[in-house]
Amino acid sequence: MSDFKPTYLPSRRPAEVVDCRELTDGVVRLTLRDEFIAANARPAQFVNLYTTNEQRLSPRPFGVCQAEGDTFTLMFAVVGKGTEEFRHLRPGQTVDVLGPLGHGFDLTRSANYVLVGGGLGVPPLIRTAQELKGREDAGCTVLFGYRNVHFADDDASRWCDDVRSIDESEGNVVALLDRWAAENGITADRDGVLRPVAEGERPFVILTCGPLGMMKAVSAWARERGLETQASLESRMGCGFGTCVVCTVHTTRGILKTCHDGPVFNTAELEGWEAAR
Amino acid sequence: MSGTTMTQTAQAATQAAQGQAQGGQQLPCYFDANRTFTWHHKTQVAGVEWKNPVGTASGTFNFDAVRPFYDVSQLGAVSTKGVSPVPWEGNPVPRTAETPAGSVNSVGLQNPGVDDYLVNDLPRLKAAGATVITNVAGHSDDDYAEVVSKLADHESDMLEINVSCPNVSADGLSTGTDPVALKRLVKRLRPLTDKPMIVKLTPNVTDIRPIAEACIEGGADALSMINTFVGMRFDIRTGKPILANITGGVSGPCVHPMALAFVYKTRQAFPEIPIIGIGGISTGEDALEFLYAGANAVEVGSAALADPVAPLRIACELDALLDQRPELAQALEEGRTWQS
Repeated sequence: MSDFKPTYLPSRRPAEVVDCRELTDGVVRLTLRDEFIAANARPAQFVNLYTTNEQRLSPRPFGVCQAEGDTFTLMFAVVGKGTEEFRHLRPGQTVDVLGPLGHGFDLTRSANYVLVGGGLGVPPLIRTAQELKGREDAGCTVLFGYRNVHFADDDASRWCDDVRSIDESEGNVVALLDRWAAENGITADRDGVLRPVAEGERPFVILTCGPLGMMKAVSAWARERGLETQASLESRMGCGFGTCVVCTVHTTRGILKTCHDGPVFNTAELEGWEAAR
Repeated sequence: MSGTTMTQTAQAATQAAQGQAQGGQQLPCYFDANRTFTWHHKTQVAGVEWKNPVGTASGTFNFDAVRPFYDVSQLGAVSTKGVSPVPWEGNPVPRTAETPAGSVNSVGLQNPGVDDYLVNDLPRLKAAGATVITNVAGHSDDDYAEVVSKLADHESDMLEINVSCPNVSADGLSTGTDPVALKRLVKRLRPLTDKPMIVKLTPNVTDIRPIAEACIEGGADALSMINTFVGMRFDIRTGKPILANITGGVSGPCVHPMALAFVYKTRQAFPEIPIIGIGGISTGEDALEFLYAGANAVEVGSAALADPVAPLRIACELDALLDQRPELAQALEEGRTWQS
């Protein structure tokens, strides 16, 4: 027997509630204390939260929104009984967590990253803006679309100087993308052929998270302009860490798991994804 | 996915662990997988020694998913995802729906096939020191025979024939509910392998005893029970079933009392056949109930989806409970049960 003693990831554990507040009707920002998640959650990685009700055992996965010191923040809409329970968490209470989980955005390249979010898809992009702040070799533009209240602009603006948003009374995020493209001389003429990058110039990379229809529209828009898109997908999950195989997605690499192989995928590898309903 | 790429989180864990070694604080997990384990109560299942009576249930264990969280060799055994002769794509999504104290799942035994299993999962599980139960899936008798033959000369410790998945087209379930067809299948598989052969039974029958008898007469070395109950949920906004496959298999703490009754009834009818109890185990106490019902060992399923280390935690809890029950512990160690 060798003396090698592997070190295992922290498993499910209680995290202390630091803050829980409603940003707008039915949208909650929850701040929890967990040193490991705060130190390690990469952009678009997520954490599982678990209800205290033994009737409801499935994990509730949420993309990490911000991480500071030994705390991290989540932002979610109250859509069911689990999120309804989390809405009522109060400082000093605990909630069970597991994570960080999944593979996040690939930010390794020197690029101008354009973060396109919709609705409750914005939190992982805020974490991304946080990560990009101070990166001298990377640029960051945030384009958010909301139904009505611009609830996440303040948080995004802490990390990015170029935050633009739109709500349904004015149009959708594609309208914001069109405006941004016009400013940068990007036109729709490439249909999937990646835009060549001149020496000394940084490529544009689209990072998107939001409702499926929005991400598909953003991906199609980018493809027509020769821009790469990474999308952070949402899925109904049974475990969140790669065991149960319920959150599958068809890709050019085969049938993969959204939780373990994603949630981020380059949309070029999502077969027939833009066209499918 | 291949296990060659370390996840971002695993890399982070390594760094964090190095930080901890320099005086950082250990996180308050419910269960510390980094400690050293000593097992006091082993069991025997069809002549195979398990270092403790707790294994994982098929479909709720994935080596690549859990190895960042704990040492799989510390479990009594691991039962793999069902292995079929050729790769299966499984069912469309959604594949899961929550239900009180459980879930309804319909994965459809998605797996990369036996050839892939023999070069990837099995050698790595054995290299990690696990006691491996290879779960065998098929659509027909020929399918099962092909997989069992291919596994015969490889290093699985036991085989578990899954004749009870409710989520693959007809044959899987009908074989498990028809004593004549089941006996014919087990009889056909028996000469194909020297490995101990467990048959995993479905609860979707009126009486488990003729089913168990068919397995025993066909030459099964052990039984595992139960697989999931057929169930479904509706989305009340659309009026449609939540699962793309319409129905799925119900598992979780909600099935625990029924699973105990299946084990108990089978044990009363067949005092000798080794039985692995499965169904809604979340704690050492839940596992202990199965041992009192007459099981030789247990497998943990759904709980492993709510916390990756749950099977190992339950094994520790059960070890402590058996410390206080020397008579039961002694019976298990000798290959007997509380009821035999």
